[in-house]
Amino acid sequence: MQVAASGVPVVPAADIPAATNAAPAHIEARKIAVDFHLEGRRQRVLSEIDLAVPKGSLVSLIGPSGCGKSTLLKVLAGLIPPTEGRVSVEGIEPQAAAKRRIIGLVFQDATLLPWKNAIENAAFLLMTADASIAKSDAFARAAAMLKLVGLDGAERKMPSQLSGGMRQRVAIARALALDPRVLLMDEPFGALDAITREEMSRCLLDIWERTGKTIVLVTHSIDEAIFLSGEVHVMGRGPARIIETLSITLAQPRTEDSFTDPAFKTAQKRLRSLLIESHQRRPA
Amino acid sequence: MSQIVPDAAASARPPAARRPVPDMVLALGLMAAVILVWELAIRLFNVSPFVLPAPTAVIRSLIASRARLAGAAQATAIEVVLGFVFASITGITVALVIVRFERFGRALYPLIVLFQNVPKVALAPIFILWFGFDLAPKILLIVVIAFFPVAIDMLAGLQSVEPSFVALMQSVGAGQGKILLRVRIPHSLPHLMAGLKVAITFSVIGAIVGEFAGASQGLGYVIQFASTQLDTPLIFAALVVVSVLGLAFYYVVELAERLLVPWAPKYEIRQRAA
Repeated sequence: MQVAASGVPVVPAADIPAATNAAPAHIEARKIAVDFHLEGRRQRVLSEIDLAVPKGSLVSLIGPSGCGKSTLLKVLAGLIPPTEGRVSVEGIEPQAAAKRRIIGLVFQDATLLPWKNAIENAAFLLMTADASIAKSDAFARAAAMLKLVGLDGAERKMPSQLSGGMRQRVAIARALALDPRVLLMDEPFGALDAITREEMSRCLLDIWERTGKTIVLVTHSIDEAIFLSGEVHVMGRGPARIIETLSITLAQPRTEDSFTDPAFKTAQKRLRSLLIESHQRRPA
Repeated sequence: MSQIVPDAAASARPPAARRPVPDMVLALGLMAAVILVWELAIRLFNVSPFVLPAPTAVIRSLIASRARLAGAAQATAIEVVLGFVFASITGITVALVIVRFERFGRALYPLIVLFQNVPKVALAPIFILWFGFDLAPKILLIVVIAFFPVAIDMLAGLQSVEPSFVALMQSVGAGQGKILLRVRIPHSLPHLMAGLKVAITFSVIGAIVGEFAGASQGLGYVIQFASTQLDTPLIFAALVVVSVLGLAFYYVVELAERLLVPWAPKYEIRQRAA
């Protein structure tokens, strides 16, 4: 393992992508550490996280469950303040960035309001963020986003009438309605069945290609991470840090053929061994 | 796009060979059977009507005292409705205060639970002492009996909004007040309706207990008066009226639930099937 005893990650030189040095990072995290207080005990859940996400890229955070990848995403979103280090999104604090609607969030559960239909749900956050927006404008924008996620025709459906995949599409449309330049997604397809999951992956890829948003995706699916992202950050446990950053060299745009590309297999093998290793180093 | 198989599965099911008997018919049948057994047992064992009147005797008493029972039912109904309304307002207010003013709420909550453990029936004579024999003590008794389920259920609803959704609201700058108004309160409505259904049955009990403790009208008063006269059939007739009244009130609240929160999780399965 390329981690020194002190816990400082040593990223192998060969794995540093050339691009990160050139383009200015859209999201930047420097020396992030997060402590949680559990029953009076201080516990470090994230340590020494350095992350630079280039503008317009799609990167994944992958790691064993409970490793802190969701916590890292919440730090990037400004929902959890880091104990140490600083995060910037477009050069400002993430909390301020979220208020300026630079950041859109999607969680594992769609968390739609059951008393509102699809279009009302899609417009809800935009109307909350911008009290002065006319209802018709917000709905027009929500309708456009529902169309983008492939839900045109389902605008009037209630959440209880939608499948899990469709609900998650509404949640994505709700985030997109804010027109954020950054989309942070916490295992957005984790609760879906395998087929729906693949379909949603293609849908996300399509959205990314069409909108050019910077997307950070937390996932525990190796295939999903490789298929979707340009870079995969592998996280290890106890306390969590980024143990390796893998550049995915698959050709863009990604298609069905990407799965059979030799580069896919290589990345898959590498990620598997990294994840198995980090899983076995379970803290006591 | 995402039309996954449920339709195919549904159509594959064989057509129902015979329709099951509706629940309502079963319930009425069972009730008729119990009444029949009751009637037969009274006649067979020659039970005195002072001890246990036969259903036919109860019906005769119902008809004979119909004007009196109707007047008493009206008096009780007014107490129930007013008491229920005040109990609901109290319960909702308590829940909102606990959620909105978190620190004060944490101090208030144990006090309310402690109060809930006081036997409310024992308070009836005190309320009579304070407020006399009119409407006020009965309404107060109903409020102290029935506000608790409203407060507890409403509170559970207010607090069970998903934390990730609250985070989403906060991330775009929404304050606690806005989250309460636009998310927590609507989210709590199905829970509130469940609390109101418990509260309405408690309200009927509260009214009867209040009338027992001291009243000049109402069904509770009729029951007590009849017992001093050893008019057991009239006691049973009044009990029948109380039950019907309680049932009617319950279904009014249930109807309100269907109209106000058709999106409640309990209706979801039916909606999906439709």
